[in-house]
Amino acid sequence: MDIGFSAEEQRFREECRDWLHSNVPDERRPLDAADALEFDKAWQRRLFDAGWAGINWPAEYGGRGFSIVQQVIWLEEYAKAKAPWIGANFVGVNHGGPTLIANATDEQKAFHLPRILKAEAIWCQGFSEPGAGSDLAGIKTRGRVEGNELVVNGSKIWTSFAHVADYQELVLRTEEGSERHSGLSWVICDMHAPGITVRPIRKMSGMTEFCEVFYDDVHIPIENVVGGLGNGWTVAMSTLSFERGTGFIADQVKQAQEVEDLIETATGNGMIGDNRIAEELAQLRAEVAAARAMTYRNISEVEKRGQPGPEASVIRVFTSELGRRIETMGVRLMGEEMLDFRYGDDDQVQDYLRGFASTIAGGSSQIQRNIIGERMLGLPRSR
Amino acid sequence: MDLTPNDEQEALRFATIAWLEGNMPLAEARNRAPTLWSGMKEMGWLEMTRPEMGLDHATEALIFAELGRFLAPVAALSTAVAARWTGLLDTVAVALRGHVLDPVGTTSALGLFDGKAGLIEFAAESATPGLDLSTLQVRLDEMPSPSLIDEPLAALHFRLLAAAYGVGCAEAAGDMATEYAKVREQFGKPIGSFQAIKHICADMAVRSQVARSQLYYAACALDAGDADTAFYVAAAKRLADQAALENGRANIQVHGGIGMTDEAQPHLPLKRAHLLQFVAPVETADLL
Repeated sequence: MDIGFSAEEQRFREECRDWLHSNVPDERRPLDAADALEFDKAWQRRLFDAGWAGINWPAEYGGRGFSIVQQVIWLEEYAKAKAPWIGANFVGVNHGGPTLIANATDEQKAFHLPRILKAEAIWCQGFSEPGAGSDLAGIKTRGRVEGNELVVNGSKIWTSFAHVADYQELVLRTEEGSERHSGLSWVICDMHAPGITVRPIRKMSGMTEFCEVFYDDVHIPIENVVGGLGNGWTVAMSTLSFERGTGFIADQVKQAQEVEDLIETATGNGMIGDNRIAEELAQLRAEVAAARAMTYRNISEVEKRGQPGPEASVIRVFTSELGRRIETMGVRLMGEEMLDFRYGDDDQVQDYLRGFASTIAGGSSQIQRNIIGERMLGLPRSR
Repeated sequence: MDLTPNDEQEALRFATIAWLEGNMPLAEARNRAPTLWSGMKEMGWLEMTRPEMGLDHATEALIFAELGRFLAPVAALSTAVAARWTGLLDTVAVALRGHVLDPVGTTSALGLFDGKAGLIEFAAESATPGLDLSTLQVRLDEMPSPSLIDEPLAALHFRLLAAAYGVGCAEAAGDMATEYAKVREQFGKPIGSFQAIKHICADMAVRSQVARSQLYYAACALDAGDADTAFYVAAAKRLADQAALENGRANIQVHGGIGMTDEAQPHLPLKRAHLLQFVAPVETADLL
């Protein structure tokens, strides 16, 4: 076991650092939805042009074909340089793309992957429904097979960036009368197709990237199915394991920086003299270090075995709940000033309110604990 | 960068487990065979940390986590650290602030004094178990002044191995609870099928994984001479102590009534966890 990086990896790290140092924009990502979209697209395009998009994606589809360790190094340096959140490109780059790489045909990959990396196509996720949240297998949105098309009816909810998306990773029921995990399909849905209505939902932080999506006789070519008709659950789970696996590096570096900032703030305003505050900050600092150690361990496992195991749910639970506690400490140190928060403000209160998503989205902390209990510890199923 | 044990380390770990299962079962933690120390010595665990053995801290951490899982004598920690930094090959007890632990066949004890590792000499007295039934102890009303070990890494080494014991102790409690939740039935089902119990077990697994991961990182940092090693080791010890204590309590809760008895085992890791928090303890200032 060692925590060192090879000379080649060190050189790569320096390359990342140098480029980021002279290219990270000074201005913050705008909060206004339209401005934010332009900002996200321009930044992603810049990353692509300089060769920093899709670091571990196959080279034939516009990626660099590098190792997962290099991807980790890039994400670490990215966060250290305080480079912008990838925003609207999140689903394409972090979920849709990796799912296509693992499950799609060569044609599908050749068409979509470069477009995702160049920000020519924005993707959104279409998993949750009003009646299918934690119980994702309760999906009711239907795709009736008619000739070489699917005719889709139903609705999806909590879909980030649906209002600006070009494509959606849509999981729907394609087998009449099927139940639970069988009869589902994972489909590429063109968000500009007739019959799609998008209704934005404002979050408690004031942000509006959340949406509800309605499908009224939407026609989707059957060739847009990924991984075969009826295999949607397996394909969707591969997406979620990407989400639960190595996708947390940048978050963790950010958390480490946030804790250092909090310690500085508490030292500045004297609150660190309160033993309870000092004790909690010390605890957060230790846990942030452990989160990184645990992710390194997971990445080492993935390098050896290919796929993240159920241990990824341990990282997920720990990191997201740690983030919530860091954000809570952030507003605690603000004191009464937090009352001056208004929609549109981009401060600790915004982070705190937005942070509730981390223990809900992509499988709530409670669902993750079921996964840990059942798949890692071998306890009998609850349902 | 690789934070997983290699094949050789795994083989050593499994050999350790096999020996411990046969010679030091947790069920007999309060009634260890008198030949245990000579057995441990024969197996080389007490001397494997001598400098000329060339063993890295990462491998040590793996082995000591297994020893900790079986509630091995805590003097194995102090003896290993003394062997590494003082050349002493005899058994060395553990010195806390007002107690000496495992003072068997020795009048020397190793502890931390203002953050530095040092040795004290104490008068042999008859030792008895206290709260932790697997450890003999004597009270010292006055702590003799220590002869400090002139090497700052000795303190970090001691704290790292103590953290490894904590990780093992936390895992012992977690495993015990999970196994019980699979076989104990109520309402016609194993209690582990109920989310209220399942989530307690999941939380124990999370705490163990967190502590074990930080242990690996800290051990590697100590091997690499990383500038922040003191912090990484302190974080490892703090998280290991917490995992051992919290898992120890949760294990009793999962066991219910039987968990509260002297006869059943769940109180053993909890009591050991309370002991370990005073071995190379971590202050808030060590982490800030």
